[in-house]
Amino acid sequence: MKKAICALLAVGLALTATSCSGLTLFSNYRRLENIELVRTVTADRDGDGVNVSVYGTAGEQSEARMYERSGPSVGVAMGKLILMPLGREAILSHTETMLIGEELAEISIRECLDYVERFSEMRLDTGILIVRDGTARDLLAGLSGSDTPASDTIAGLSLNIAKVGEGYFFTAREIASSMADNGCALIQCVRGVKEEKLFEARGDLNLEPAGFAVVKDGAVCQYLTDEETLGVILLLGKYKSRNVDLALPDAAVTVSVDLAETDMKPVFDQDGRLAELRVKLSLRANVINIAGEADITDEAVRRECERELTEIMTGAVRAAVRRSQELKLDYLDLEGVIRRSSPLKFEDMPDAWEDVFPDLPVTVEGSGVLARTYDIADPPELSGKEDKNPWEKLIESLKGS
Amino acid sequence: MGKTDRITERQLSVLIFVSLLSPMIRILPASAVLFAGRSAWLSTALALPAGAALVAFTRWTRKNAPEDMGLADMAVAGLGPVVGRFFDILCALWLTFYGGFIARSAAERLLATVYPNGNTPIFVAVMLAVALFTASGLTKTLSRTAEIMMPILVAVIAVVLLSALPDVSAAHLLPVTYRDLKGMAYGALPIFDVMAASAYFLFLAGRVRRPKSQRPNRFPWLIMLALVAFGVTFFTLGTLGEKLAVAMENAFFMVIRNIKVLGVVERVEAVVVTIWIVTDFIFLAAVLMIVAEIWRTVTGVKKRAVFVVPSAALSGASAFLIAGNAFAFQRWSDFIVPAVNLLLAAILIPAVMAVGKLRRRY
Repeated sequence: MKKAICALLAVGLALTATSCSGLTLFSNYRRLENIELVRTVTADRDGDGVNVSVYGTAGEQSEARMYERSGPSVGVAMGKLILMPLGREAILSHTETMLIGEELAEISIRECLDYVERFSEMRLDTGILIVRDGTARDLLAGLSGSDTPASDTIAGLSLNIAKVGEGYFFTAREIASSMADNGCALIQCVRGVKEEKLFEARGDLNLEPAGFAVVKDGAVCQYLTDEETLGVILLLGKYKSRNVDLALPDAAVTVSVDLAETDMKPVFDQDGRLAELRVKLSLRANVINIAGEADITDEAVRRECERELTEIMTGAVRAAVRRSQELKLDYLDLEGVIRRSSPLKFEDMPDAWEDVFPDLPVTVEGSGVLARTYDIADPPELSGKEDKNPWEKLIESLKGS
Repeated sequence: MGKTDRITERQLSVLIFVSLLSPMIRILPASAVLFAGRSAWLSTALALPAGAALVAFTRWTRKNAPEDMGLADMAVAGLGPVVGRFFDILCALWLTFYGGFIARSAAERLLATVYPNGNTPIFVAVMLAVALFTASGLTKTLSRTAEIMMPILVAVIAVVLLSALPDVSAAHLLPVTYRDLKGMAYGALPIFDVMAASAYFLFLAGRVRRPKSQRPNRFPWLIMLALVAFGVTFFTLGTLGEKLAVAMENAFFMVIRNIKVLGVVERVEAVVVTIWIVTDFIFLAAVLMIVAEIWRTVTGVKKRAVFVVPSAALSGASAFLIAGNAFAFQRWSDFIVPAVNLLLAAILIPAVMAVGKLRRRY
């Protein structure tokens, strides 16, 4: 008897818990065939309200689709959108990116961020991007091609943007954390570029990084240049790699800067005042290609390359710091850096950080090293110079020294 | 007291550990960070000795008490039948209310993290119904359930915390200097508060089989609880930062929502939150059992189970009446419940035990 009751209970549980019978205990159970898996969400200004769109698929094999709705707020528009696309229910728990149109971002991104943070299906690791020179909805539609889903293009840029040193995709968590700690935050901008279609199956637009936007009081207040953006990722430790062209008198040497480390040290005067912040940038680069005549095996040429490289990269860091000080917004978290470096001295500073920060002298020094030229040192057919015996070169350099 | 319903010291330890996971996760890291700021992740280091001292003290006071004497009997023996019973009834009433608070807290967390469209009464009713059956049963059944669930819970915590490691930023955790000691000490208070709640389980001490030889004061459950407190505070604070962690009601679960296990499996929070309900269920069942145990001592009725249903009904009523909405409930969760808990578990209970010891009643 006991066994029979157990068996009946097990069957009952299996039917209700797994929803095989159409009955279910779960209030939020959804059938696979009834859901639309959203990967990208956009938000744009629409009159006095907001236009939102979602981009996703109904399954692995189905083609990506895009739906949009407008409403007085993000929440209302999304509410309509979640339940209305072609009878399917939009599932937001796999949303990777939220694109916010420039026009809306300059008025307020607070509502969008709040939606991501508050709505239980959304995740704090959702990437937030601001779309420049157009609307987020048009960008998403333009990126989408039959063989190039827009979400894949965005995900690809997200993975590779730091590898080309052109930015960093901040997530909602990082943005919220920076706004909570520093009162401001950075958000990566992107833009759609219309180019000739190389194949029919791709979308009409190409996706390009467009520097960082600075967010203050819940809205974008400034945009950083490419140079400043490079400086920011160097200072925030988000840098991975970048190819840089070095202009020599008779050639252009392209190097891949694959190591860039910053070391920041505060200097306090005898009164305990913060006198200076010294930033040291250590760079290591490798030769990618040389256009023109440059004997990279020649130490003088290499020194020249290293000097040029250091100048470019330290210039970017200086520009980033200068802009941050001009805006009086510490999105570089220099306060945190100094606090961690000299916690007691920082606490004992007679002046408040907010007063010190805008006029704080920041010295940026750099040292760049060309580490290798890979397999090809200096073949004569490439540099145009006659090849020399390595021993002759050594003797010449010794004579020179 | 039935001689068949006996548990070992180890089983009681496991029951305490699994039960206290629930309040530990509820209050951390927000309450510790409020006091200690970014140094909150080190507050556990101060809470652990204080918690160990309290547990060692209660253990010492109970050393010569008869094996089947629980805290309710000790209070009657130490304070006299009138005052002792008054103390017991006070504890029973508080724990009845506390049971409702646990059920409501679990329901609120489920609504905030996984089931936004659900409603509180159903979750509370289901929790209480399940806990009611368990609390009506044997102490050893509940302890065994805790023993079975413990490895699963520990494994889930370990996996979840380690998976959150890539998001931890040193900038959110440092610097910490000697000047932060005061804040760290205040931050240790809520952690100690939870550890002190182990004193409620002394009401079940009469059900514990005493080992033949007195064991040294090593409390593995307390160390494990401290490790969990450290892990939750460290990883949540390191991921979200001080201000964001305080701003969130369920900061730890927000971290869970973002994790990817080994970079492959994501969106695991529903599973984790559901597993977490087990700790609430075991704690609630244990509290109902403790309340029934107290009433058994106070009334002299032999069968403990008869008190479970009315206690559960009162707990259910308090779960609904405690607060009209989540905001009011948060106030209870942040201030009132921890304060009363600290007063009762860390001050009154040890004091009552000390009085009995000084009067040589056990």
